[in-house]
Amino acid sequence: MDPSQPVVENYANPKTCFFHVAFKAAALAFYILSSLFFDNFVIIFVVTVFLAALDFWVVKNVSGRILVGLRWWNEIDDNGESIWKFECLDQESLARMNKKDSWLFWWTLYLTAVAWTILGIFSLIRLQADYLLVVGVCLTLSIANIVGFTKCRKDAKKQIQAFATQTIASRFSSTLQSAFTVV
Amino acid sequence: MSHSHSDTVPLHASSQSDIDEIENLMNATVLPARPPSPARAQIPVSSSPFLPSSIPPEPPLKPSSAAQKFVPSVPAAAPSAPPPPLPASSGGGGPRQGFEATGFGPGPNTLTEPVWDTVKRDMSRIVSNLKLVVFPNPYREDPGKALRDWDLWGPFFFIVFLGLVLSWSASVKKSEVFAVAFALLAAGAVILTLNVLLLGGHIIFFQSLSLLGYCLFPLDVGALICLLKDNVILKVIVVCVTLAWSSWAAYPFMSSAVNPRRKALALYPVFLMYVSVGFLIIAID
Repeated sequence: MDPSQPVVENYANPKTCFFHVAFKAAALAFYILSSLFFDNFVIIFVVTVFLAALDFWVVKNVSGRILVGLRWWNEIDDNGESIWKFECLDQESLARMNKKDSWLFWWTLYLTAVAWTILGIFSLIRLQADYLLVVGVCLTLSIANIVGFTKCRKDAKKQIQAFATQTIASRFSSTLQSAFTVV
Repeated sequence: MSHSHSDTVPLHASSQSDIDEIENLMNATVLPARPPSPARAQIPVSSSPFLPSSIPPEPPLKPSSAAQKFVPSVPAAAPSAPPPPLPASSGGGGPRQGFEATGFGPGPNTLTEPVWDTVKRDMSRIVSNLKLVVFPNPYREDPGKALRDWDLWGPFFFIVFLGLVLSWSASVKKSEVFAVAFALLAAGAVILTLNVLLLGGHIIFFQSLSLLGYCLFPLDVGALICLLKDNVILKVIVVCVTLAWSSWAAYPFMSSAVNPRRKALALYPVFLMYVSVGFLIIAID
């Protein structure tokens, strides 16, 4: 990298970032604005939940992989036990991830959950059980993604530490070895 | 070192064998059932529902072997623009790496192509799960293995579809019908699963939710027929047939999950829920 240039990072994956934000924003916007225009709860429910489900899928399968290099899923092994798997890219690629991308990823993830919680509180105050149902479903999807990716990130950090200690240990031992052979 | 873009280049054939070795080692050491994050950055086992990613295994192992093998085969390329022949040169690793490479690279279809693959895979999983659960097939003898690749998309679509059909058939209070149907089915599935778990059964929460959702497919069909034809006797017959079909579909999974003495305790609520949905279908006018 040219040190004389100021490091101005742009989004490395603008399309992915766009889709990552688009479905969340669409679900929230539709939910908030539709009560002004529509009177039909069914349409509001189906469209909002569908957009939220699409967003869940996009975040889990596409933007998680591209923007932050993390992935999580569930498997059932041969013994019939369910295993949650958390996976991340190797340390080099993680370090090379675009900072802006990952900032956007995490912040929009948390902000949507907060937004849905606030909307849920509103509908609770107004005692609208059916809208609470919509908010509940969307909130569940957001929280599922947050929990999954946070666990991935923790795992990734543990790995970085393990890798670092391992590298340091191996370097240390190789230095010791070379020192002893010289002696 | 030139392996700085090791995550975006496809695997060489001999690296593929390294990975296979490691996979075999992994499969040999049985993973204990510890739910929270047991796995490191490993290549997922083959039953994984997702596109296996390009993520290499143990960092100390991979980069050195990769570097030696990549250097001759890969022309000097900047990390941000993997050269086009790259996916082609990897052979078996192509589709896997193709995703990561195109994700970082330029090109008009970088997002659409791999996403489409994921979508197709998810759709085919829904169809195969449906066939396993609802239609007669040899795997019904071993229920635990049958719904191994559970997913919640199929159940989601079926529940929403049933709610929509019921709501459409209703002449008044459409929104409430939909909300009630959805809440009943979703909460019912959760409660039924909890019932099995509390009876001391061995069932996985999401697998059971998935199963109960897929077993709604016959009732969906029945509701659609009842929507189109408004004859009461026809409705009763159709609902009875589809109800029996749904219960038959759910039976092996639920009954094998619990102690034989408690089979009826586990199955009765399922049957009750489907009967109540059947009543909803008949009674809607």
